[in-house]
Amino acid sequence: MSLYRLDAMSVAIGDRTLVRDVSLEIAPGECVALAGASGSGKSLTSLTPFGLSAGSITGSAMLEGQELAGLDEAGLRQLRRETVGFVFQQPLTALTPHRTAAQHLTESAMQAGGSRPDHAALVAMLDAVGLADPAIKLGRYPHQLSGGERQRLMIACAIAHGPKLLIADEPVSALDAYLRGEIMALLTRLRHERGMAMLLVSHDLASLEHHADRVLVMQDGEVVETGAAQAIARAPRHAYAQALWAATPSLKAPLPDDLPVPGAPLVEARGLTVRFAGSGLFARPVTAVDAVDLVLHAAEAVALIGGSGSGKSTIGRAIAGLGPVSAGTLRWKDAPLTARRSREQRRSIQPVFQDPVASLDPRWRVSDIIAEPLVHLRPDLTAWGRAGLVKKALQMVELDGALADRTPAGLSGGQAQRVAIARALVAEPELLVLDEATSALDPLVGAQIVALLKRLQREQGIAMLVITHDLALAAQFCHRAAVLDAGRIVESGPMAELIAAPRAAMTQRLVAAS
Amino acid sequence: MRALILRRLLTAIPMLLLVLLASFALMRFAPGGPFDGERPLAPETRAALEASYGLNLPMGEQFALFLRRTLTGDFGPSLVYRDFTVTQLIADSLPVSLTLGGLAIVLALVLGLAAGTVAALRPGGWADETLMLAATIVTALPSFVTGPLLALIFGLWLGLLPVGGLGESLASAPQYWVMPVIALALPVAGAIAKLARAGLAAALAQEHIRTARARGLSTAAIIERHALRPALVPVVSYLGPAAAGLLTGAVVIETVFALPGLGRYFVQGALNRDYPLIMAVILLYAALIIAFNLVADLLYGWLDPRSRA
Amino acid sequence: MRRIALPAAIVALVVLAALLLPVLLPWSHDAIDWDHVRAPARSPGHWLGTDELGRDRLARLAVASRITLLVALAAALVSMIVGIAWGMVAGWAGGRVDEAMMRIVDALYALPFMFIVIVLMVVFGRSILLVFVGIGLVEWLTMARIVRGQVMTLRHRPFVLAAQASGAPAGVILWRHILPNIAGVALAYLTLTLPGIIMIESFLSFLGLGVQEPLTSLGILVKEGADDMDVEPMGLLVPGGVMVTLLVCLTLIGERLRDRFA
Repeated sequence: MSLYRLDAMSVAIGDRTLVRDVSLEIAPGECVALAGASGSGKSLTSLTPFGLSAGSITGSAMLEGQELAGLDEAGLRQLRRETVGFVFQQPLTALTPHRTAAQHLTESAMQAGGSRPDHAALVAMLDAVGLADPAIKLGRYPHQLSGGERQRLMIACAIAHGPKLLIADEPVSALDAYLRGEIMALLTRLRHERGMAMLLVSHDLASLEHHADRVLVMQDGEVVETGAAQAIARAPRHAYAQALWAATPSLKAPLPDDLPVPGAPLVEARGLTVRFAGSGLFARPVTAVDAVDLVLHAAEAVALIGGSGSGKSTIGRAIAGLGPVSAGTLRWKDAPLTARRSREQRRSIQPVFQDPVASLDPRWRVSDIIAEPLVHLRPDLTAWGRAGLVKKALQMVELDGALADRTPAGLSGGQAQRVAIARALVAEPELLVLDEATSALDPLVGAQIVALLKRLQREQGIAMLVITHDLALAAQFCHRAAVLDAGRIVESGPMAELIAAPRAAMTQRLVAAS
Repeated sequence: MRALILRRLLTAIPMLLLVLLASFALMRFAPGGPFDGERPLAPETRAALEASYGLNLPMGEQFALFLRRTLTGDFGPSLVYRDFTVTQLIADSLPVSLTLGGLAIVLALVLGLAAGTVAALRPGGWADETLMLAATIVTALPSFVTGPLLALIFGLWLGLLPVGGLGESLASAPQYWVMPVIALALPVAGAIAKLARAGLAAALAQEHIRTARARGLSTAAIIERHALRPALVPVVSYLGPAAAGLLTGAVVIETVFALPGLGRYFVQGALNRDYPLIMAVILLYAALIIAFNLVADLLYGWLDPRSRA
Repeated sequence: MRRIALPAAIVALVVLAALLLPVLLPWSHDAIDWDHVRAPARSPGHWLGTDELGRDRLARLAVASRITLLVALAAALVSMIVGIAWGMVAGWAGGRVDEAMMRIVDALYALPFMFIVIVLMVVFGRSILLVFVGIGLVEWLTMARIVRGQVMTLRHRPFVLAAQASGAPAGVILWRHILPNIAGVALAYLTLTLPGIIMIESFLSFLGLGVQEPLTSLGILVKEGADDMDVEPMGLLVPGGVMVTLLVCLTLIGERLRDRFA
């Protein structure tokens, strides 16, 4: 007897059919996963039957024998209230900012008609999801909690009314890599404890091995492969499923052995410290980066790994000359690197940012965007000379020259990031500072960008400072790594050593999560 | 919270001092003022001025004297209404203006919030389009057009309401207040309606509303608990400018409907160069607006906890 | 863009009428027709009648519209230039400079400007220059705040950082990156300040402090019409109607532009 069952269900928005003929069955206590990249229709499939998206369904969707297709809003609302719980992707925007954790929990606990929980009950609820210092956290607002804490709160709210089915839409995709394993483990544990069924939506195919019973892989609104989670997660057969599997890197893959040999030192940071003034009337200054030592050699790729707020972006900005330095020294090839940079120094170090669309001026054309560094850093070139280099840069990033006249609005995420990389390369720098260059991209597209970076590393011998929260990603092409926690480097060394024998607690968490 | 109040008061004091200094300078040195000897003054007025302002003292002492007087609320005699001190005039007329303004803002809030909420519930629907067009028209109607129009229609043609004045006393007859309050409140109501509609529509489009719906809450509960506070933010931000708008509008309304309020005295004083009166009114209005802005800021902090840090 | 078409067309019509009518009509705005004093609408030669001095109401309406629009445009431009410059500097510099500059704006915002303007005009006399300046003084504050907000949002966007990494100096970045990206919002608010300025001008005229005789403005006509309203309601309704129509159309245009760009 299945708890939840979809039979040839399709989802349409307006007159466009976005999901076609999906069938699945979830027994009580079972976990079924929908895997796919963005645009595959997995979120629509999971949310639309319950009236939580802009679309409508045709076909059949049955919860405990009750048909959802054609059910009115009042009926759907009752099901959402009593039988189903939801966990969304972005806990910061998904939780009402002006209500405290206690208010969120109380509302969720009472939604199915339960009585108002007392303080002890609320503390117990937060404790059950692994939130430290639950009594204190009850009085906090969502923006005062960390990303992991917020998601635990969201999970506590989703199960507070004792639902039989939990629908989790990409519950860990927005979290730092090292938190993902912990939160997924929490969901699985809660599921077993309460005999709850779960419909899990995710793009990380490999991780589903431990958390799902069965998997359906979706592409462009259709199911392309289904089967037992172990089988698909380890060895997918369909081409798309294989690409999806390869897109999320894991440490189980072997480390590359064809990395270029590092040369002379390029950047040397000693005791680098960055302090920011606090906000508000009586706030104290915040130390974002605390006495960091770092050396980077020619043709070398060094990873700066840490969670949000660890200071890694601040270091990257300081090195790229885009952020302040409060104390310590920075040197480039033995000359001091200060806020005022010479043209040569600016040419040599170029940044690539996380959000590709925000890193391109929406009103400029691609060719002008890529040519901008040349205008200021290569004044010896004529317009003709610049145009030639722009063309070369576009080729290097595998973009069609026809894109040169477009504005960023006409580019996809992957194309925009390639343009940003082309702009960074056009002045022939020796060091690229990549600040979470793939985090905002769809995983399949991100994998392509990583492949491009590896090729550039091999062919051009460019050094790279790779700032990321994903150790497995960095392991694909970095020689060494430095792990950051609260502004300090807690461990650093060659990639292989770090992975094989992590010493610091933070490193161990990172390795375990990948 | 306390830090905010403190900071506001700290900026308010130098500003009020600046206003005082400017007013003082204006009075003493501006052409056409009571001191420049251009206009022939009656001997009693001259004597009164010299006594009040210590015209023979050095400038610094004059200002100090002026400052001290102001702090004790003594602005001296009015130059136009010879038998009254400025403080008396203000004390007599302020209640009228405050009542007018108070009733107007209450009416504006009620009308504006109601219209804005109805419009926001079905964005793009006919209620939305009609109400917002009405709101735009209403904000474009200057009060010195609506005032006389209302007086014309309801006063002269239909004879339903009195055309002007206040009757016997302040609380005597509500019908004297109906048209003035409506004429004053309408433009502000229109602005509030637009802001409330924009605020609520934006709040309902946020992601956390989907979470609230996922919990199976009713529409009323969703609006009240999850959408109302962010929706009110633009309305609250408008309270300061709204107060300023009401003050200027009140000047017109009091003139049109012959209400003995502060605004009318101000206009008369401005046209007749009654400087002590002008200065006192400006100071009072500046203090009122600062108070309104402070209330708005405090409310703002309550509405959005993220802004408190 | 479609929804701007109608209000824009109406505004264009009014502007056209204001420019052409005084040329086409036989009467100028201050010429007195001794035969027809206080004539009602549709009298011979005077479509809207004449006022109590015998001047043709339609001609006065056209001239008044011209003056009102001119004053509004001039004051709006002044406020826009000052406001944009102030906002860009504050938003770009950040830190203490920004705090100081915005505190000044906050302080000025709280002053009941209307009253100060009135006092200034009473003291220093009534000239059309002072009308411009006074109104411009009031309106630039909002523009400064909005521009500063926009610039702060853009200041830390990656494309601005990338421009810095490309070696572009601050002035070049402001001119070629920031300004084009705030132009839309600035234009939208410019269109929204026009109604406010027209209201202020008419308010001053209502008090007798605005544009002076023999020039006239919509505000003056409305006041005169209100005074005579029990005798000839058209004297109030027509100029009032024109003013309200202009205000509504400008507001609609401004709001639609703002929705598009902000």
